[in-house]
Amino acid sequence: MENGKYRHTVRQLYDFIQSHLYFTRPDVQIGGEQFNSTLLFTLITALTGGKALIMGEPGLGKTTAAEYVSSLVYQLPVGTVWASEVSGHPEQTEEKIIGRPDLGKLNTGQEEVVWSYFVQLPVKIVDEINRLPETKQSMILDGVDRGNWEYLNEMFLNAEYCLFATANYQDQGTNTIIAPLLDRFDVLVESRYPGPSYAFMISQKQDKEGLLRHPDLEWKLQEGLKKRQATKEKESHIAAISEEFATYLKESLKLDTLDRASRKEVRKEISAMTLDQDANAFTRMLLAELSFCDRHGQKRSNEVCEEGCHYTGYLCHRLRNCASNRLPVSLVNYAKALAWFTEASLVGIEQIRAVGPYCLAHRAQWTDTHLSLLEKDRRNDPLPIHLARQAINEVFQRYGEQAEHVKAALATGYRIFQGEPLETVSGDHPLYAEIRKDLNLER
Amino acid sequence: MFNPFEDFKDFLSKAKGLPLDQLAAAHDQVIGELARGYGKLVEQELKSLVWFVEHNRVIEAYKTATEVIQGIDYDAHSIEDFCYVLDSGTGIPYLISGPAGIYVAALCNHTSDDQIVLRLGDMQRTLHFLGYRLPYGKSLRIEGDAGNFTGSALQGGEINVTGSTGDWTGAGMTDGKITIHQHCGRNTGEWMQGGEIWVGSRIRGLGRMTAGRIYQSGEPVAGDVLR
Repeated sequence: MENGKYRHTVRQLYDFIQSHLYFTRPDVQIGGEQFNSTLLFTLITALTGGKALIMGEPGLGKTTAAEYVSSLVYQLPVGTVWASEVSGHPEQTEEKIIGRPDLGKLNTGQEEVVWSYFVQLPVKIVDEINRLPETKQSMILDGVDRGNWEYLNEMFLNAEYCLFATANYQDQGTNTIIAPLLDRFDVLVESRYPGPSYAFMISQKQDKEGLLRHPDLEWKLQEGLKKRQATKEKESHIAAISEEFATYLKESLKLDTLDRASRKEVRKEISAMTLDQDANAFTRMLLAELSFCDRHGQKRSNEVCEEGCHYTGYLCHRLRNCASNRLPVSLVNYAKALAWFTEASLVGIEQIRAVGPYCLAHRAQWTDTHLSLLEKDRRNDPLPIHLARQAINEVFQRYGEQAEHVKAALATGYRIFQGEPLETVSGDHPLYAEIRKDLNLER
Repeated sequence: MFNPFEDFKDFLSKAKGLPLDQLAAAHDQVIGELARGYGKLVEQELKSLVWFVEHNRVIEAYKTATEVIQGIDYDAHSIEDFCYVLDSGTGIPYLISGPAGIYVAALCNHTSDDQIVLRLGDMQRTLHFLGYRLPYGKSLRIEGDAGNFTGSALQGGEINVTGSTGDWTGAGMTDGKITIHQHCGRNTGEWMQGGEIWVGSRIRGLGRMTAGRIYQSGEPVAGDVLR
């Protein structure tokens, strides 16, 4: 399959889900096209092997979106996806999530692990993650961070995987998702109310799940997953059944899907996308504002940003924490995927701005003063996404005012780093100070 | 050691001018070229200190003007701006109303724009021969007054003057329409062979016409309508 065909297939999947399975309004515009952010970022997460946190009110399709996308992208009947889901509740145990000892063999003195479907399948869905105690949340995210699952003395490695976790808004039964765990999610999206017209359509199409079900193949997969086989053998067994399901989809729905090799190619193509200089400089400018502290060297969540600092007009003054290194990774990966999906030749500021709010929303801890100022804003987004969007728009405005100057500063930085006796380009933004620090010209 | 600014290795900070500066520079260049063209015409025509209006001389001057403007990329706005440059006298040694008007007429006749507006109300001096040989399909609106020989030898174009014109208006015109909202001078329509001249107010004197029509305040005063 050549380049454009993979994209065409992925586009077809998006359109199919939107028109047959997940009815909702478009809420983002990229490259002149309208998309639904939940569906778009869920699809990108599945394609790139990312991690998405889907928030929303109960019954608004958080899990459903992840299930449909996973089923189609990974060629798994939706019944198998359901079987592998971990549901969040306080009594959940490691044995149910990851694996358990083979009790029969244990009686004979042998230690062998029976891995859960959740661990074995590439699609990992955790329903209501914030109902899990923090230790259990951590256990899942540790495994998902590297695709590396450990139980007793055994290890299971996932070569390809993605994670979707859903979360309800805070109520009596929920726990907090602690900041280090939140940081591991690439994006936060909200599955929102689709509006009365789409909601009515949902009532008219109650049998839509049947489109992605195949009881025979689901049973076959279950048998395959139960088998005690080496990981590679098991993977090829699952791949064979997935192929059968793909054929079924092609015949019954006229829908092309991606096999494992194709998914690998898609990831390769996405990874090969490059950022243009503006997207690059804008991202640096954003990161500088999210991490800079003139007084203390960098943002630290245990230190307070004092009034009277020269940089109080920048985002750093309104934040309590420092941007982690996972933020630029998510930002660039998702922007690349979006550029690939929308047929852009390069990743530009438009893509960075489009994914930025969703990558930043769950990671930024805003000061109470800032929250109290903006929480009553008129908005469509949930507060965290709204705040992140506002912040990114603000940085974009600043970038627009000094784009050439910023790029000149970075280019001069390059030449000074190479040993040329030049003066750094100075300006009123944390990025200029950070450039001086990179050149060891400032503390 | 890895250079963290590697991505900006090839960035060259181009000195980017303001768009208005770029427009102004392009405009200055066009006006400069038009002024040089006019200079050549004046060189050719100024054999003596006096420029006589003789039929052959007008034809020769127009021919020269047509030759010197070839290859200049100008538009209707440039013509108006050039008129003010002529009037201000900066960079142009002589404003000789005859050759200057013939030069402007040649510019009007050869521009790609079909509708030309010359807002000349603020000019200190008036230009003669405006609208000379204006062809079919072109219209020239003069806001303000025009000098002698306005619309002479008109060849089907339409001229609209919001002010007054001098003597010999429409002289030798073959077709087209000249509208003068105020007055016009002596010998209006002299040697006129066709077309119409509409004058809003006073006509100081009519010329000897061959054909065509002249109206004053909407009433026919001369030409084949009276026969």
